[in-house]
Formats: sequence, structure tokens, C-alpha cells
Amino acid sequence: MRSIRVSIPLAATLGVMFSSGVGAAFADPVTITLNSWRTEDIAVWQDTILPAFEAKHPDIKVEFAPINTNEYNAAVQSQIEGGAGGDLITCRPFDVNREWIKRGYFESLEGLPGLANFDKTSRAAWSGADDKTYCLPVAAVLAGFYYNADIFKELGLKVPTTSAEFIDVLTAIKKDGRYTPLAYGSAESWQLAYNGLYSIGPAYWKGEEGRLGLIDGKKKLTDPEFVDAIAAFEAWKPFLPSGQESLNYADMTQLFTLGKAAILPDGSWDINQATSTGLNVGVFGPPVPKAGDKRYLQEMPDMGIGINAKSAHKDAAKTFLDWVAGPEFQELYVNAAPGFFAMSSKPVTYKNKLAQDFADLKKGAELTPRLALDRLSAGTPPLDDETWRLLQVMFTKSDVTPQQVATELQAGLASWYGPQKK
Amino acid sequence: MISPAAAYRNLLLFVLPALAVYLVFAVLPLATSIVMSFFQTSGASGDVFVGLANYERLFTHPTISARFWNALLNNMQYFAIHLIVEVPMGLLLAALLTSGKLARSEGIYRTLLFIPATLSVVIVGFVWRLIINPLWGLVGFPLLGTESTALTTISLMSVWQYFGIPMVFLYSALLAVPNELVEAANIDGAGGWTTFWKIKFPLIAPQFGLIAILTYIWTFNGFDLVFALNGSAPGPNYSTDILGTYFYRTFFGSSGQLADLDLGSAVATVIFLTVLLVTAAYFWLIQRRLKSYSV
Repeated sequence: MRSIRVSIPLAATLGVMFSSGVGAAFADPVTITLNSWRTEDIAVWQDTILPAFEAKHPDIKVEFAPINTNEYNAAVQSQIEGGAGGDLITCRPFDVNREWIKRGYFESLEGLPGLANFDKTSRAAWSGADDKTYCLPVAAVLAGFYYNADIFKELGLKVPTTSAEFIDVLTAIKKDGRYTPLAYGSAESWQLAYNGLYSIGPAYWKGEEGRLGLIDGKKKLTDPEFVDAIAAFEAWKPFLPSGQESLNYADMTQLFTLGKAAILPDGSWDINQATSTGLNVGVFGPPVPKAGDKRYLQEMPDMGIGINAKSAHKDAAKTFLDWVAGPEFQELYVNAAPGFFAMSSKPVTYKNKLAQDFADLKKGAELTPRLALDRLSAGTPPLDDETWRLLQVMFTKSDVTPQQVATELQAGLASWYGPQKK
Repeated sequence: MISPAAAYRNLLLFVLPALAVYLVFAVLPLATSIVMSFFQTSGASGDVFVGLANYERLFTHPTISARFWNALLNNMQYFAIHLIVEVPMGLLLAALLTSGKLARSEGIYRTLLFIPATLSVVIVGFVWRLIINPLWGLVGFPLLGTESTALTTISLMSVWQYFGIPMVFLYSALLAVPNELVEAANIDGAGGWTTFWKIKFPLIAPQFGLIAILTYIWTFNGFDLVFALNGSAPGPNYSTDILGTYFYRTFFGSSGQLADLDLGSAVATVIFLTVLLVTAAYFWLIQRRLKSYSV
């Protein structure tokens, strides 16, 4: 096919017609549907999670109905606004969901007993302007650095803890010449932000202090702590493989798994891929600016589940969510999908060793979500998109300084975001 | 004898199935999306008629309009490269195939040259990305990662894939040129070059015009190769963003961005009008004047 068709409204209408039939199809037991963008999880839900739930609640059947990731937002929006959609809807974190709450898509979850297992920070990504929680936190992802332990041993390197040590390690690998220090490229701009700046940056802007400071207008992106963070990220440039401007995410992972690169800055969701060739892989967290500084770690709420306000089976949906809030589901899910982490305050054990190592990085570190996704991306231009774009410009052109990036980011944000306008 | 009325009735009967499919799957969705572009459908109070507000936003908001003009300009460049490279290449190869110089291998060449057009764009994108990958491929320079070369690179990949289409199109037109005319020209002392430009090309000019305007329509509805290579925010710095990807981004949103169905419909309508007006103008002003000779 060479063209895209303009028939999406029709496709959406058909989608609504089909999905609206599902809820009422069985009288007893009640069938509820769960919409999700994780098409890759279909086996996990159908073979492991849902049978475990249905064994305890034979009167409720849950149908996992994933939608293609790229079309998820549009599909959910047009279905719900057409008065249909699944009974349970997987929630995007922060701004998208806040708008969905505002439009009345969800039933409030206040009063659900299982909600007590989650603290306020975990619920923040799915709270409305009224501070009520509308989606149950299901899983978060972390960002860090995978490293090839054999290369480290061969070159006699130690896992770096400070920014200076990090650069020393990279310099040593580069000097040796056999391996690429960082398996990292800038063809896919999202990961410059998510696995790069938002991972090492919190140590400079002090995690929540800097992030919330931007949100309430007390800080600006041109403040020294943000410029320093961007500069610390730019310092990676000499250690990237040649032609990095064209390398995409798959290329990076491949470079690392073939044993040709020492360090892969990446997210926890990539655990299975990063270890797919049986390398001896370890993980370390973002370095701190000076020895003895507080450690910060990016913990990004990834998905929650909410109840469609127009669902005909809210009680069944609540029963299901209450089960999702408990330890049985949390253990099942995080172990079936390594790289995803439970957000509940109850302890969870991870069977995957690297996942457990990742989870251990959380100890003693202040957790903070990705910088620009909460409120700062709810207007045009969204700060998150601008960060992707400008970091890519910085990494593909030689004459763009961290100061210029910060100035342009601030100008874009101040053009529409109230607290930053003055 | 069938009466004229019955003949018309039969005609209608034969057209009806195709017409019904066309109305339901092409005209109706198009009309719906045009209507939608005049509404605000996301508010809590249901669908509200907002007139041209979506269009006003598209053309006056500093970021939204800047990205739109950028995508339009990129799309023009995308079309220009196809017009300058793909169509003449198709003509050249069609002329070679029908020149008789290839003798019995004509069929083999025709098939080989057409094969890329039958491949999936995902495969074409993947293979070319590997070929020009600075890490594993043949070219050390990051062609796709440099703002000044990225769009041209993608355009040429698309040209590589689709030059077979104008080729077979013009090939069949050239086959229809009567041999007597060519022979007469030869007897009058015309060489291959003169015969082609003075005899054959004027006879296939209407088809040549048609393939040029079809290329325009295809490139302005283009989307898939760019999306397969660079996703829905095609970088670097939106240098490979074309109208199709701009529409996709607006209409479908992304993990961190809401889907704006109304603005997306406005974008779709603008794309539709861009294609419609230019195509109509072309048929009105140019295609009508190209004489089709009958022999």
C-alpha cells in the first residue's frame, strides 16, 4: 500500500460497534474486557494471569483485548466517546491520563480496599485534579546502565559511581580500542531523553525537587542544575560509535549483545533482549556528580488500570482490580514480564537475577519519574517532544551547546505553560 | 433487442456492487472526516460545532503551523525527487525495453526491474537501512542521521522501490505505438533518437502526463516508508516529516501525547484538498490539451 486512507473515523465506528457487543454477550458468568496497548503480553495474560484470577472468581471472566500500541490513544478515545470501550482500560501515565480523567472516562477508585497497598507517589501518575485516584498502579519501569562484566574484568575496570569515574571508565575503554565504550546512537530521539538525560539528570536537578520546581514555576530549564545535566549528557558524545547519528535502538542493543560494546544505557524493559546472547551482564545506576552525593533513580510509572465510567459491570471490574492490587498478581506479572516492577509497597521477589539487581538499585536512592511527562507536556509544544528533538539536534550537530538546548526548551515551555509564563 | 431503458437498468445493476463498496469505504469516511474537522468532539459536553477553529489552530499556532509547513515543504521535495528521478527512469527503461535491442531477454529484464515494486515497504526499509548502516553496512556516513541528507535518502529508496510502476505503465503505452509509423520514420531517414522524441513520445504524452500526476498523488499520500524507517516523529529535527506522518502523529497521538482527532481530521482534509485541487487543475489545464492521436 502506498497511501494512507482517510477512513479512520469509519474504522473507529466499526471498532465501537464490535466492542460494544462484547460486554452483554454472556449473562452468567459476567465477562469483562480489559483494553491494553501491550499486544506482546497477550500470552502472559491469557495463560498465566487470568486463569489465576478466574480460579478464585469463577463468576467473572476477563477478556484481554489489546490494541496496537501506536493506535491505542486514538482507539480508546473514540471508543469511549462513542459510549463503548472495554470495562477496564489500561491507563497511560500523567498528562494523557489526566486529560482522560477530566473528560470523565473513568470511575473513581476511592474506597477500593486494595488501593491501600500503594503510597501517594505511586498513585500520582493516575490522580485527577481532585487528587482522587482513577487507575490502579500496575507496573513501573526503571532506567540504568547494562554493562558487559567480562569486558570490565578484562580491562580491569570498576563499576563507576560518580560522573568523573564514569568518564574515566569510558576513556579507558576508548583508549584500549577493542570495544565501543557506549552502545548508544541518536537515530531514535525518544531514548536520548528516556535512557539518557532523564536517567543521569535527576542527580543534578535533585530528582523531585527539580521536577516539581519546573511544574510550579519556581525553577527554569535555564537554571544551572538543568544546564549542567544536559552538559553531563553531552559529555557522552566522544564515546559513541562512529555513525551514531544513524544508529537506532535495535542497532544499539545488537552492538551490546554481540559483545562489541561495554555499556548500554537502557531501560529495564530491555532485560530479555540485553541478555539474549548469554553474555555476563550486570547493571549499575546513574552516577552521582560528586562522591557522597545522594543517588537518584528514574522510576517511571508505566501502566495502571482504570474502570470505564460507562461500564455495565463495575462491580466485577472492582473485584478484578482489588485482586490486581494484591501480592498474587504483582508477583505473577513482574515475573512473567521481566523488566517491569511492582509499585506496591508490599515486597515482591523477582526470579530474574538482573531484574532483582535492578530492583536493588532502588534501595537508598530517591525515585523520580521522567522529567517532562507530568503536566509539562500537556500543551503545544510538549516539553517531552521538544526534549527529544533538541537532544537529537545536539547529538547530530557539532555547533549546538547545552546552554542553547536549555534556552530553547525553556522558551517552548514558557510559550504555553502558565506557571512558567511570567 | 434490448430496449435502451433496460440497457441502462442493466448497466446500473452492474455498476451497483462496486459503487456501493466505493461509497461505504471511500466516500463516506472521507465525508465523515471532513465533517469532523468542523467539530470539537473531545469536550465533556459532546460534539460541538466550532466552524473553522481547527483550521485556524492548524494555520496560526506557532508550533503546529511551523511543523505543518515544514511537512508540506518536505513533501514537495519528496515529490520533486520522484518526478525528476523516478518518472524519467521509468521512461528510459520502457524505451529500452521496447527498442528491440534486448531481443529475447526483454521479458527477463521487465520482470527483474519490476520486482522491487512488489516488495513490502517494511522489507525495503529494513534492507536499505542495513545497506547504509554505518555500523554493519557499506556506507560509513550517517545518511539517515544527517538533516541535509535524510529526506533525499528516503526519497531515493522509494524511487528504487517504485520505478517499475511508471516503467510498465509507459512500456504498455509504447507497445501500442503502431509499427507502421516507426517504419515510415525509418524509411524517411530518422534515427533512433529522432524516432523516439518525434514519433513515439508525442503518442504516449497523455500517459506520461498521467503517470506524473499519479506520482504526485502517491507522494502526497505517502507515509509508509518514512514511518517504517523513522517512526511517527521522523527526525532528525523533523527533516523527514511529510504530510502523512504529520497527520498520523496528530490523529493517533503517542504514549505521552493525546490523540487530537479533530485537528487530525482538519489535517486530513487539507491533504485531501491539496491533492484534489492540484489534480483537478492539472486535468483542466494540461491533460485536456494533450492530443491523443488515433491512427
